[in-house]
Amino acid sequence: MAQSTTLQSPAAAATHDAPRTGNWDGGNEPFKASYGKLMMWFFLLSDAFTFAAFLTTYGMIRHKHEVFTGEAKDFVFSTRWWPIPDHVFNAFPGMGEANVPLGFVALMTMILILSSVTMVLAVEAGHRMDKKDVQKWLLWTILFGSTFLLSQAWEWSHFIHGHAEPTIMADGTKLFGANLSMNQYGPVLFADLFFFITGFHGTHVFSGVCLLVWCFIATTNGTFEKRGHYEMIEKIGLYWHFVDLVWVFVFTFFYLV
Amino acid sequence: MASHAPTEHTLAPGEIAKPNTGWIWRVFGILVLITAVEFVFVFLMHPSTLRNSIFIVLTIFKAFFIVAEFMHLKHETKGLIWTILVPVALLIWLLVALITEGSFIGEVLQNMFK
Repeated sequence: MAQSTTLQSPAAAATHDAPRTGNWDGGNEPFKASYGKLMMWFFLLSDAFTFAAFLTTYGMIRHKHEVFTGEAKDFVFSTRWWPIPDHVFNAFPGMGEANVPLGFVALMTMILILSSVTMVLAVEAGHRMDKKDVQKWLLWTILFGSTFLLSQAWEWSHFIHGHAEPTIMADGTKLFGANLSMNQYGPVLFADLFFFITGFHGTHVFSGVCLLVWCFIATTNGTFEKRGHYEMIEKIGLYWHFVDLVWVFVFTFFYLV
Repeated sequence: MASHAPTEHTLAPGEIAKPNTGWIWRVFGILVLITAVEFVFVFLMHPSTLRNSIFIVLTIFKAFFIVAEFMHLKHETKGLIWTILVPVALLIWLLVALITEGSFIGEVLQNMFK
C-alpha cells in the first residue's frame, strides 16, 4: 500500500513529462480506469440515486395504502387497496383478453437481458479490434433495445386503454384504463407511479438506443479503428447494462412484489 | 481484466484474436435461470413477506452478476469497487426508513375517523 501511494520525488515532478503514477499525485488514471470510464461510473451512481428515489417513493406510497387481504381469486380492482400486479399486467399482444399473468413482462425482461448480452459481446469484439463483430453485435443490441421500446409502447397503450371489463366506481360510472388523475386498477398514485417509473426507464432505453446507433455509425466509419481502441463502446456499454440493471429492480418492485 | 483479455502477444500484425465468449453466455444462463425461479415463486407461492424477501434476494443476485461481470466491476481496482458500493449501500437505509414511515402514515390515516 505504501509503495502505491508514495508521492513522486521533487526531481521527477519538476520534469513536466514524467508520468505521475501514484494514486494521489495527480496521475491521470486514479483507479486504473480511464477518465471517461470513471466519469461514466459516477454518472451511473447519480442516476442510481434518481431511480432509487423513485422506487423508494413507490415503496412508501404502497405501504401507505391498504393491502387486499382476501384470496387472490376474489380480488377486484378498487381505489381502497393497492392492486395485485398479475391482475393488472395480464394481457399479451395478439391474444385478446386471454389471461396471461406477467407473460408479456417476462418476454420484455428476456429481451432486455439478451440485449445486455449482445452488448458485452460487442465490447469483447472491441477488445479484439474486430470491426465486423462489433458492428454485428451493436446491430443486435439496437434491435433488442428497439423491440423493448416497442413492447413498452404496447404495454402503456394497453394500460391506458384498460381491460375489457370496466371497474364500477362508487357513483356507478364505468371506468376503463388509466390517466394521471383516475385509473381502473386502484389508487390514483398507482398509475402515476407506473407512468413515471417505467417512463423514466423507457427514456433511458431510448437514449441508449440513440447512443448505440451513433456508435454503429462511428464504427462503420472506422473512427474507433483509427483511434486504436473501442473504449467508447465500453463506456456506452456500461450505460446500457445500467439500464438493464434498473429494469431488474423495476421488474421486481413493480411486477413481482 | 486479465482473465478476459485476449492473448495479444501471440498474434501476428493485423490478425484478429478468437472470440472468448463462454463466460458471457454462462452469465446469461444464470440470469435466465434466476428469472425463471422468480416466476416459479410468483405462481406457486401466495403473496407474503417471505415471498417478497425471496424476490429481493434473487434480484440482488441478478444485480450482482450484471454489475460484477457485464459491467466488469469485479475486475476493477478495490478503490473503484468501494466508491460505487458504499453510496449505494446507504440507499438501503433510505428505503427502510421511508417504507416504515409509509406504513405509519397509512395507519394514522386509516384510524383518523375511528
